[in-house]
Amino acid sequence: MDFDWQHMLIELLVMPTLAFVVGLVMVLMARRLRARIERRVGPPFWQPLWDILKLYSKRTQVSHGHMHEISIIVLLGGMIAMEVFLPVPGFDTFAHHGDALTLIYLMMVPTLGMALGVSACANPNGSIGIARALTAMLAYDVPFIITVAGAAMLYGTTSLPEIIAIQQQQGLEGWGAVQMPLLALAALISMQAMLGKEPFEIYVAPAEIATGPMTEMSGKFLGSMFIMQCFQLYTVSVLYTTLFLGGGENWATFLIKIFVVVAIPMTLTNIFPRYKTEAVVAWLWKWPTAIALVGLFVVMMR
Amino acid sequence: MIPSLDLLLALAFGNLGLMLLAGRNPTAGLLSMILYALQGWVLVMLMPALAEGAASGLAFQVFGWSLSWELNGLGWFFAIITVGAAFFSAWFAAGAWGVQGTRSPWAFHVTLAANVAAMLLLLASRDLLTLFIGWELVTWAGYAMMIQSGGPATRAAYKYLIYGVAGGLAVLAAVVLIQVQAGGLGFAAVAAWMPGISTGMLWALMLLLGVGFGIKMAFLPFHRWQAEAYGESPGPAAAFLGAISSRMGLFGLLILLVHFIGLARLDELLLPLIGLDARILWMWLSALTIIIPTFIALKQNDARMLLAWHGIGQGGYMLLGVLVGSELGVAGGLLHVFNYATYQAVLFLVMGAVVYRTGTAHLDRLGGLITRMPLSYVAMLFAIIGLAGLPPMNGFVSKWMVYKALLDEGLPLLFVAAVIGTLGTILSVFKLIHNVFLGQLRVEHEQIREVPFSMWGPMIALSLIVFITGYMPGLALDLVMVAQTSLGFAALDYHLGGFVTDTGNLNMLAVVSVLLLGMGIGAGIFLLGGNKSKRVHQLDNYAGGHFLTTEVRYHYSHHFYAGLLRLIGPWYITLIKRLEGGIAALTDTLAAGSDGLYRTAYTPILMLAATVLGLALVL
Amino acid sequence: MNQQNFPVQVAPLESCREPGPEERSMLRKVLDRVGQYCQSRSLFVLHYCTGCGAIELPPSMTSRFDLERVGMQPMVTPRQADILLITGYLSVKTLKRVILTYEQMQSPKYVMGFGSCTINGGMYWNSYATVKRLGDYIPVDTYIAGCMPRPEAIQQGFLDLIERIDGGRAVAWKDYYRNYDRYLGHQQHLFGRDWLTPTDVVGEAAHYRLAGDGTLGPHTALLDQYAGYHQAWGVPREQYAELEASS
Ligand code: SF4
Repeated sequence: MDFDWQHMLIELLVMPTLAFVVGLVMVLMARRLRARIERRVGPPFWQPLWDILKLYSKRTQVSHGHMHEISIIVLLGGMIAMEVFLPVPGFDTFAHHGDALTLIYLMMVPTLGMALGVSACANPNGSIGIARALTAMLAYDVPFIITVAGAAMLYGTTSLPEIIAIQQQQGLEGWGAVQMPLLALAALISMQAMLGKEPFEIYVAPAEIATGPMTEMSGKFLGSMFIMQCFQLYTVSVLYTTLFLGGGENWATFLIKIFVVVAIPMTLTNIFPRYKTEAVVAWLWKWPTAIALVGLFVVMMR
Repeated sequence: MIPSLDLLLALAFGNLGLMLLAGRNPTAGLLSMILYALQGWVLVMLMPALAEGAASGLAFQVFGWSLSWELNGLGWFFAIITVGAAFFSAWFAAGAWGVQGTRSPWAFHVTLAANVAAMLLLLASRDLLTLFIGWELVTWAGYAMMIQSGGPATRAAYKYLIYGVAGGLAVLAAVVLIQVQAGGLGFAAVAAWMPGISTGMLWALMLLLGVGFGIKMAFLPFHRWQAEAYGESPGPAAAFLGAISSRMGLFGLLILLVHFIGLARLDELLLPLIGLDARILWMWLSALTIIIPTFIALKQNDARMLLAWHGIGQGGYMLLGVLVGSELGVAGGLLHVFNYATYQAVLFLVMGAVVYRTGTAHLDRLGGLITRMPLSYVAMLFAIIGLAGLPPMNGFVSKWMVYKALLDEGLPLLFVAAVIGTLGTILSVFKLIHNVFLGQLRVEHEQIREVPFSMWGPMIALSLIVFITGYMPGLALDLVMVAQTSLGFAALDYHLGGFVTDTGNLNMLAVVSVLLLGMGIGAGIFLLGGNKSKRVHQLDNYAGGHFLTTEVRYHYSHHFYAGLLRLIGPWYITLIKRLEGGIAALTDTLAAGSDGLYRTAYTPILMLAATVLGLALVL
Repeated sequence: MNQQNFPVQVAPLESCREPGPEERSMLRKVLDRVGQYCQSRSLFVLHYCTGCGAIELPPSMTSRFDLERVGMQPMVTPRQADILLITGYLSVKTLKRVILTYEQMQSPKYVMGFGSCTINGGMYWNSYATVKRLGDYIPVDTYIAGCMPRPEAIQQGFLDLIERIDGGRAVAWKDYYRNYDRYLGHQQHLFGRDWLTPTDVVGEAAHYRLAGDGTLGPHTALLDQYAGYHQAWGVPREQYAELEASS
């Protein structure tokens, strides 16, 4: 394998930055959407950035030990690595060094980092939040993994750039969402849970466990979690676009696609209350899993 | 000294003798460490000779049977792991633990040496008779190792022994069957006879071997003995047993089922009604072996039990990978043997250290130890990431290979099953590290200190191996390829960082480097981006305005994953209890039936008939 | 999570004073300015709603007036919050919680006294159980007069505060560090000599160079005396009672 160091370095720096900027706009969009649905005006354009800068500019910062700080570094590092391995228009050198499976497991690294840091704070609200977050992960990953298996069967590869190339060759009919609509639907539902949005928002639950993982997070610790939220929105939407919507031909269509993908769960979240933990698991193991299994059989029959 | 199999066995048995004599001596641990290191060196030196097989000069004639030994690539691969695990366990026991942490260091050192010697003998078997002798020795050596803590351990070990003897009998029956049919026990004779055997014979062999070796692997449905037997063993003993002991069953299956019978033959065995073939059946059993024990582990309240249950579950990945039969799958399964041994040993050693300091491994009675035992924490962190199979540790690589092989072969449902096992593992290992090392430190643990170097040394060394073989899986794959080619599979195409396949690549060098670079950037943003942080007391914590005191337990450890367990808790009772109850009832009925037969019918006649039948078969 | 006894006394605190504005570097000045601006544009509010006035907050937050327009959001724990909103009267018991909550917040932090009860006791002036002036116990940035104030008044209060934060004039929180001894004295007067929170204000003042002449004094000396023996740090209640008797 030949290494083009210059190109790699550029990707390493540019991709996370882009992801962060797009993620900020996505956060803004989510908050504006919420405001509009509640008939409010919503925050000003720069609000997500101001929030993060404000948190970083706090004079005092509470730390609960080295693990608390290291975990935030792991969280940011994992997120940055994840962005680099995503295939986006013009940048896919690193995407060739891993595949969909790598990316899915890489997505768990920041979660694990966050989990360790939150637990290091010695606050049971945080621990309960993490226990619930992991439970939710167990719940939504079952349908999600089935859709990934289905996609791997359909395209005959797990390499993300390959999947994009296959879809783009065939035009609109080649899109995953057209080829396997049931799997696309199941993935959309598990995406809602992956982003931790109602009705699956069990681990933040402000009225119940005091925002769970964020209970003891203050200042730049909380700011880093806000950054993580931006990255998360971006990553999940890019992954969905890659698997089902043909990836991005260029940045214009790509951005439209990922914003539409994010807008769906962000709208739905405002019209639901929250399930109980066991109800989340039961529901996700029942409906999306059933849909995904049917979809998988349809794919395998072909 | 020319490295040869003789030298290896001489070292192993010499070590056993030495430990029998001097096991009580405080330097015994160091001595055995040196001897294990020497064995490891001999093994490494033997590597080039493996292609032709490293034969032993030792040969016996017993009742006309000739016994001889020879180490092939597969045995060598398992031997390396065995000796490595023994080395690190002995290191752990060499210092303070051997002096104060155990009731009898002598018992530990002797049983460890005996286990290693027995395993090497098994791994170097050249014919089915030596295989069987080695098998029995391993069973009994394992028993000796398990009983050393006494108390509940004795009961668990006894259970193991019953299973083990039953498995041994099944293996013996298979050996006798082969001898009668093939007319010889040498591997060459067996290999020559195998291709022509009938389907009925194949079924019989598969079932007998499956039961015999599957019991040692704790393969479903023979999994019930293992967790207790391993969990109750003292720290380093559990580390050794957990890391490698069960893999002897896998070795047996590999050599007989995969190597001699061959996966292709398994495809021919169709189940009567369902239309599935035997290989798929084995694979689904492996998948269930992954899932069910993993979710039982999730419920455990004792850290060692939790780990032991995971040991059972991880065994499923190995067999699943090998059964896929593609180069990637076989390599993945075998690599998982190595990877699993490294992190499972660390986990048991860390728990041994925690028990040594706190006196308990109960997950509700620990917490916050990270401030007191930071090195143990780091070792455990590396190991649980490995066990959970997340990057950047080695467990991820072998699991990725198994997943990929399953997808490539068009088995998506098995892939999903394997991933569900991984998800369950993530949940349960997080509970482990959270309840032991994170959260609130208890008052009674305030004075605890880190364990001495003799104990953290092996943990840290092994956890570095976990990381490095995750970063550069090519290093471990070099070893795996020796075993893989000797099993008769083509070698896998790999490079230092991973694989390039037509359907997706993995380059751990890139993944881990980017992860580390990302963490560097993250550290830059986080550390330079804001004001310096100030560390606060653990009781300076949000409690809704409540003033925390040490009298209040402010740690969530009991009934972790309450929400999940409210849903799946009842399933354990219905599904698992019934499954196990069914097996127990079946065994009971069989036992009672045969017992009744012996008692009521004419006992002497039956005995005579059995003896005559047995003799007729053998002669 | 080291288990030393709190608070850590750093005496003398001479070297822990804040450098004056003229001592800062150019870069520092720019960064501080940006920080100030962002702090004024993004305010997370922690509602401490014990009094009647809480009822006026929903209209301010929701579609009628929508405080998110000026970057204000409700938050749940003191760690995350910038503004502590005290909506009304405080009994002696709740004041303890308010002080703990205030001390757990991260600086810069702002307190809003809401309604006449926080200003002068309001209609509870005669009560034996309520405190009359919130400002005696924690530094208050803005009071909103009225019983109860209407959402328009609340908004005016917030806008006022935002303007002062932007201008760098909302610095009451520094007063708590600089004159900690005085605030602590008032607190001890109300709660007793052994009053102690698990937070470490003096240590924080030293760590972040926020100390002043009034940081240490006779009252903080009492803290020292009780810190090691206070039941909060693991000494059984009986032993503590003995100690109390002997002193
Ligand atoms: S100021 Fe008036 S409305 Fe507010 S708490 Fe006091 S009495 Fe109630």
